[in-house]
Amino acid sequence: MKIYETSVKKPISTILIFVGVIVLGLFSFQRLSVDLYPDMDIPYLSILTTYDGASASDIEQNITKTLESSLNTVQNLKKITSKSQENMSIITLEFEWGSNLDEASNDVRDVLGRIETYLPDGADKPLIVKFSSSMMPVLFMFATGDESYEGLYKLLDEKVANPLNRINGVGAVNISGAPQREVQVNVDPQKLEAYHITVEQIGQIIAQENRNIPAGSMDIGSERLSLRTQAEFVESSELKDIVVTNYNGREIKIRDIANVVDTVKKQTVEETLNGQRSVNISVQKMSGANSVEICNAVKKMLPEIEKNLPPDVHLGIFFDTSTFIQNSINSLSETVLLAFVFVILVVLFFLGRWRATIIICLTIPVSLISAFIYLMFTGGTLNIISLSSLSIAIGMVVDDAIVVLENITKHLERKARPIDAAVYGTNEVWLAVIAATMTVVAVFLPLTMVGGLAGIMFKQLGWIVTIVIVVSAVSAFTLTPMLSARMLKFKNTHQYKGIGVVFKPIDQFLNKLDNGYAVLLNWVVTHKRMSISASILIFVASIFLFSQVPTDFMPQQDNGRLEVSIELPVNYNLEQTTTFAHQLEGRFKELVPELKYISVSSGVDDQGGFSALFGNSGVNQATLGLILVDRELRKRSQFEIADILREEVAKYPAVSKYSVGSGEGGGFGGGNTVDVKVYGFDFDATTKVAKELQEKISKVPGAREVSISRENMRTEMHVNFDREKLAAFGMNTATAATFVHNRINGLLCSLFREDGEEYDIYVRYDEQYRTSLEDIQNIVLMNSSGQTVKLSEVATISEDFAPPVIEREDRQRVVTVSAALGKGVALSDVANGAREIIKKMDKPAGVDVAIAGSVEDQEESFQDLFTLLMLIILLVYIVMATQFESFSKPLIIMVSVLFAFSGVFLALWLTNTSLSLIALIGAIMLVGVVVKNGIVIVDFTNLQRERGMSMLEAVVTAGKSRLRPVLMTSLTTILGMLPLALGTGEGSELWQPMGIAVIGGLTFSTLLTLLIVPVLYASLNTSATKKERKDNTIEIE
Amino acid sequence: MKSVFITFGQSLNRSVLDLLDKLEIRGFTRWEETQGRGSESGEPHYGTHAYPSKNSSIITITTPEKAQALLEKLRRLNEQIGEQGLSAFVWDIEDVI
Repeated sequence: MKIYETSVKKPISTILIFVGVIVLGLFSFQRLSVDLYPDMDIPYLSILTTYDGASASDIEQNITKTLESSLNTVQNLKKITSKSQENMSIITLEFEWGSNLDEASNDVRDVLGRIETYLPDGADKPLIVKFSSSMMPVLFMFATGDESYEGLYKLLDEKVANPLNRINGVGAVNISGAPQREVQVNVDPQKLEAYHITVEQIGQIIAQENRNIPAGSMDIGSERLSLRTQAEFVESSELKDIVVTNYNGREIKIRDIANVVDTVKKQTVEETLNGQRSVNISVQKMSGANSVEICNAVKKMLPEIEKNLPPDVHLGIFFDTSTFIQNSINSLSETVLLAFVFVILVVLFFLGRWRATIIICLTIPVSLISAFIYLMFTGGTLNIISLSSLSIAIGMVVDDAIVVLENITKHLERKARPIDAAVYGTNEVWLAVIAATMTVVAVFLPLTMVGGLAGIMFKQLGWIVTIVIVVSAVSAFTLTPMLSARMLKFKNTHQYKGIGVVFKPIDQFLNKLDNGYAVLLNWVVTHKRMSISASILIFVASIFLFSQVPTDFMPQQDNGRLEVSIELPVNYNLEQTTTFAHQLEGRFKELVPELKYISVSSGVDDQGGFSALFGNSGVNQATLGLILVDRELRKRSQFEIADILREEVAKYPAVSKYSVGSGEGGGFGGGNTVDVKVYGFDFDATTKVAKELQEKISKVPGAREVSISRENMRTEMHVNFDREKLAAFGMNTATAATFVHNRINGLLCSLFREDGEEYDIYVRYDEQYRTSLEDIQNIVLMNSSGQTVKLSEVATISEDFAPPVIEREDRQRVVTVSAALGKGVALSDVANGAREIIKKMDKPAGVDVAIAGSVEDQEESFQDLFTLLMLIILLVYIVMATQFESFSKPLIIMVSVLFAFSGVFLALWLTNTSLSLIALIGAIMLVGVVVKNGIVIVDFTNLQRERGMSMLEAVVTAGKSRLRPVLMTSLTTILGMLPLALGTGEGSELWQPMGIAVIGGLTFSTLLTLLIVPVLYASLNTSATKKERKDNTIEIE
Repeated sequence: MKSVFITFGQSLNRSVLDLLDKLEIRGFTRWEETQGRGSESGEPHYGTHAYPSKNSSIITITTPEKAQALLEKLRRLNEQIGEQGLSAFVWDIEDVI
């Protein structure tokens, strides 16, 4: 028994199987998490190596270079970039998309194990960090508190950071800008000299005084007691009374030579929110964790946390990255539902029978829900790609059911019993339905095989559409005949009874449309030459349009967040930087009334580590974060506002470098930049070339804030020891350098413990004694025999310039000149301008210039996609050629694909949209829909020819009878995409290009397919059939 | 004894079998898939791409009265379904075992 026969005869089993699928699907749907894109972690590994006291160039020579040359052999490595800066080397390895990072980090660990012995002795063990876009904070919070400000760090660390850290998926909770407690022993160097004592000695004494030592245990009677000596400080003020030395029989206590303060660390970073002093708390997620889930969990926990905080401390959410994702997905889900409604309406419009409409539309939920099961089993998420796959599939899943239902109706009209009509009706068309399904699969399945970034984007799309279409075909063989057998009744012609009266004018209109189209088709087919030349003309014109449409990587999205980073002259201290930043804040408030929050962060958090990877790197830098009100509430887009801010910042001569970004940080859709890389060893030569490029690229229309990645040279004071003099004095360079370090930076001698927390105790010169060059020269060194000497006697002090950071890429020094894009400017506009400039420029020997950045990504993905397109076209051709058993007929259908692309370019050009990766996805999806239309027409014309009609008659009859199915398929897809193209809702700029591309391409190609395919069929086949007839007829006389 | 040969569009199978049951005609032979085309009009039933529909055929040997009644019923059915689908032919049977 065949599957359709079984399902008609066993309705209960059929229904229950589909109910099972739906239940499983809904269950999966509930468990699916939401994300913006499919999981596409940027495959990066970072290697951090610290080497205290080394300058940027020392780090480059001794650490970065050594590591780079060995790491270069790691498998799947795509690019190796590095940053050598004071005390630290950061090497970033970029792997091919889709590489397994766990394997990669094992490889890297092996390499590091081999190379470690070649690193300098003082260098720490290299640290591997799986650094990915997911490490960018997903949630920014702030805390304000007036009375509790001093103790805020401890409070937030204990009461906020710790509980949040326990949430599953939270990678780290960082608190920045909060004052941290520190016990300082600020000594007076003159008194030290007078009492003949050093900072080191004081440190040693403090360390020895502040100790609890277990002293063993003893038996007293029958009990065994342990003995401890307790000497740890209970109060920080105890420090003051510690005796450090004896002088002329008098005890000298710390209070005599130093000032002991229990205070907060000297801040190198200052944060404010809306002008109020605040502390920033940022939540990072673990790699692979879901942002939306984490943000929701954090938000759920906040009220609980706030209860435990003092009443003057307030927590707030400054920026929540999940809101954007959630809103985007919600508005996309709405459009999918809208598409569903549109499809139902279109089916009802064309069929005019509600029972038939219900049977057909039941296919939609059944097949779409199966996509959720797939997502669930592969660990996928609901994201832009998976949801737009659904909205493109909605229009296609009803096609099979319509074909089956139509044929069943035909049998019913012949007075067959419903069950027989269902069985035999399906029997007649099931092969044709499978062939049509195969074509669609031929378009979408290859999408799962692309590599690179495009591969990650397309994989879900390919699988979802393939699965949904296959399920819809299965449902068309089982559910549709079964329901038809139960629900459909024989009706000769439409009776227009009851509510059906509405259908009467529609039916009349459709009939008129059919007839009108037949007349037009007749004319076109009889004027072949003219119609063919006209269509060639249209196609050539559209190729010209292709060169006019600019290309882009990803559409930039307006997430209501801007980040302005400024760099002030290197001699600015924190106070000056802060004042300047607040001045700018004031101006921004005037310029941007759409502002919701503005945060200012000046200086750098000295916690080191990760903050070195992002954020400011000096006290002369400041970052202003702007959060705008929701998109619906403001007229100006984020990009317009960014342009205004750029203009404003550029007015200040003190700002040596600035950038205005969307603050997305890594990932996609945020900042598209055109990067030009200047490779070369010579600093001066490369900087000169970079400056020249900067100047020229600034003049390219559309380029904004062209900046150079190399930071300005920083002034440094160098202490150069005279080794001979030092040796004569009985000291070596290392001990002498430690003396300088302990007096200026401070000696961390012990930890003060209170309530289970530890705070640093630092001994150093009082601040007033470390403000000038003379102070350094007056530093007193003491050798082991107690002799003293001034630093100026054994060393000279000079001023010098040094590069703060040396960047390298693929083991070459590099400077990046990057240009941001103004509002509505496409990547290719600026990239082409930059290319021209590079071509014309004179480059000194040893300096190479190449274009990179988003342009590089875009070119790679586009290349992948074009290869893919070729593959798809070939596969579709094969499927069609086997179906028609003909080489020429598939070519006719391919013409409609060409027109689809013409339509895409026309639509993009008309709406002034650039061809981005997303638009290209739309164009590729089109191939499936468009080819299906072509097949329907060619197949039916073939049929009429086989039935012995003349060419003209066959073409016109087939066209007329297939007009409705073609219009139905196209209209369902076009209307389904309409909400996307209109681009309301948050995040819509991301998928708007897809909607525009699909609507443009499908409208254009449907109209032309309806005319040009019959014409081509007629002209190609007339000659072919004549020949065939001649070969196959035996003349009998 | 009379023989009745009925050939019809596949989807009428159940209707024809019902008629046989109703008239208590027990014996028959059926070919589920046959091909054919009407003498005057109607669409061919070839089971091909151009003509996907198929016929079924039944031959039954019965008494002249029942054959008469059957033919009457079939005629009515044919009238209902229009020009397509059903033909029946009757001839004499000389002997049966």
